[in-house]
Amino acid sequence: MSALLEVSGLTTRFSTRAGVLNAVEDVSFTVDAGEIVGLVGESGSGKSVTGFSILGLIDPPGRIVSGSVKLDGRELVGLDHGALRSMRGREIAMVFQDPSATLNPVLTIGAQMQLAIAAHEKLSEQAAVARCVEVLNTVGIPDAAARIRAYPHQFSGGMRQRVAIAIALLNRPKLIICDEPTTALDVSIQAQILTEMKSLAARLGTAMIWISHDLATVSSVASRILVMYAGRLIESGPIADVLRTPRHPYTLGLLNSLPGIAEPGQDLVQIRGAMPSLIALPPGCAFQPRCGFARAECATRPELTVSGARGLRCHFPLAEAAE
Amino acid sequence: MLGFVIQRLLQAFVVMLVISMLVFTGVYAVGNPIDVLISPDATQLIREQTIRAYGLDQPLWKQYLDFLGRLVRADFGRSFIFNMPVLDLIFSRLPATLELTLAAVLGATLLGVPLGMYAGYRPDGVAAKTIMAFSILGFSVPTFWIGLVLIFTFAVSLGWLPAGGRGATSTLFGVQWSFLTGDGLTHLLLPALNLSLFKFAMMVRLARAGTREIMLTDTVKFARAAGESEWTILSRHVLRLIAIPIVTVFGLEFGSTLAFAVVTETIFSWPGVGKLIIDSISTLDRPVMVAYLMLVAFFFIAINFTVDIAYAALDPRLRTRKAS
Ligand SMILES: Nc1ncnc2c1ncn2[C@@H]1O[C@H](COP(=O)(O)OP(=O)(O)OP(=O)(O)O)[C@@H](O)[C@H]1O
Ligand SMILES: [Mg+2]
Repeated sequence: MSALLEVSGLTTRFSTRAGVLNAVEDVSFTVDAGEIVGLVGESGSGKSVTGFSILGLIDPPGRIVSGSVKLDGRELVGLDHGALRSMRGREIAMVFQDPSATLNPVLTIGAQMQLAIAAHEKLSEQAAVARCVEVLNTVGIPDAAARIRAYPHQFSGGMRQRVAIAIALLNRPKLIICDEPTTALDVSIQAQILTEMKSLAARLGTAMIWISHDLATVSSVASRILVMYAGRLIESGPIADVLRTPRHPYTLGLLNSLPGIAEPGQDLVQIRGAMPSLIALPPGCAFQPRCGFARAECATRPELTVSGARGLRCHFPLAEAAE
Repeated sequence: MLGFVIQRLLQAFVVMLVISMLVFTGVYAVGNPIDVLISPDATQLIREQTIRAYGLDQPLWKQYLDFLGRLVRADFGRSFIFNMPVLDLIFSRLPATLELTLAAVLGATLLGVPLGMYAGYRPDGVAAKTIMAFSILGFSVPTFWIGLVLIFTFAVSLGWLPAGGRGATSTLFGVQWSFLTGDGLTHLLLPALNLSLFKFAMMVRLARAGTREIMLTDTVKFARAAGESEWTILSRHVLRLIAIPIVTVFGLEFGSTLAFAVVTETIFSWPGVGKLIIDSISTLDRPVMVAYLMLVAFFFIAINFTVDIAYAALDPRLRTRKAS
């Protein structure tokens, strides 16, 4: 069986006044139908740009310069505007971080949902309303039939994000890219939405790419994890394996900086230094200046090597003994 | 809502009272109309009779109180010059100004907003640069000069359009309107164009700035990610979001043009209130000046009120919060 989404060699470049940078460079991964894949990395590592590249939503000065994105075997890179537009929302949808910024404050949520439906099919007003109510019920909004006449500001933050998720679900996409959808919410609501999204995905058979800078969040929803650093994918694999035996020093650093994983009473370990500017990346491994294990070979660029379910981009993978 | 309306009405009443005081003293200070009213060779007796007849021998406060007393009966007095009730005089001129103003402001908005939105949507295109260059012209060249150029080009050189006047009119609701006849329309075109250039430039800038800003927001990204077309995004999301500043400027421009279309009305000999007020100042026709200025204040209050109501209609966040 081939994967639902197949990204290979994806490179997205921004030509800015300050210089040329690859926000996403040579990224390859797959997502199976119904699977939840976590995408982690610190701020600026290229997670959102990866999501937008898949949707074909990169605006100038950005451009996908190479690579391919295949959905069910169909190539998406290079499709014309019309074909991309009709793919968005219907086959791949996206949810963003801050629902108070994504929803239009001057339209009722019913009106916004109907615009999203009308983008893909011509339904009677009645049928469209019925679909909206059904999907709002699915995401757990009580009294949906009355609430479709309400405006976004009349909902709480958590409810607002549920509405945004409902809009993403409206056209029954096969894949939803969730770009930190819980980061802007209260911790208690975060956990609630996380659990619900997970069971929703299982129930509807919808695949998800769950983007977050928080390893703990990702590990509670995803079955597989992708770790990005400076635009490159540096480690991937089943979540339990990667957490138990991280092979890349950066992944180990991320793990050690998690409060739950360090020994109680011990200081949290930070990764020293900061991510270098994408405009002036060191030659070779991008993590090398911050890596405690770096050697001379690290000045040449490591390739992504795959063994079994795990992928890695490092000259000197950590041994199992690092446990 | 009812409380809001009552509060605004009370406010309006107080504002009108203060304005009437200011206007009355201001106009009193402009000059003594007696020298204009009475021919220099009139006898002393006639002179004194006239002064008494107009109440000009009374102290200022007494004249003001008399004025207020008549105002309660909606009597603004009679024009010194035209010798007819001031209100009738103003209302006979108002439709001309009203249709000129409406044509200019509506035209500027209906044309300026879409062009401005386009310029904001594709800010780097040749079309956007052309639109913006044109709008800079509208801002920086004085109205009277453009008026003269328009007359020279289209009336004098080409002879396509008339240079002034209202042309033929037709009656609607008992009032004469130019826009109802073909001839009237050709007369309306040049002065309306002249008046609208500045407003057009302003609407273009406003719509462009708003569109540019909103195109970068997550609201637009999210709509795109849902597969909505660019046309839907512009016409349903962006237009609704930039409507509030546009409605504000529309109201203010409408009010100020209604009150002060003087320059254009003079150049195109358009018989509106702008010309009337200029004439009344040069002849020191006090009742006309006072009534006119109060009318202008009243217009602004009414327009502000309408704009506030429009806000509430356009922005649900301003309406009182319903349950939850
Ligand atoms: N429009 C743009 N113009 C120039 N550079 C851009 C643009 N958009 C993104 N980038 C660059 O791409 C890099 C990756 O950005 P991206 O938004 O994907 O990061 P991220 O991993 O999602 O971070 P965060 O956790 O903060 O959301 C950034 O370092 C940024 O400099
Ligand atoms: Mg991001």
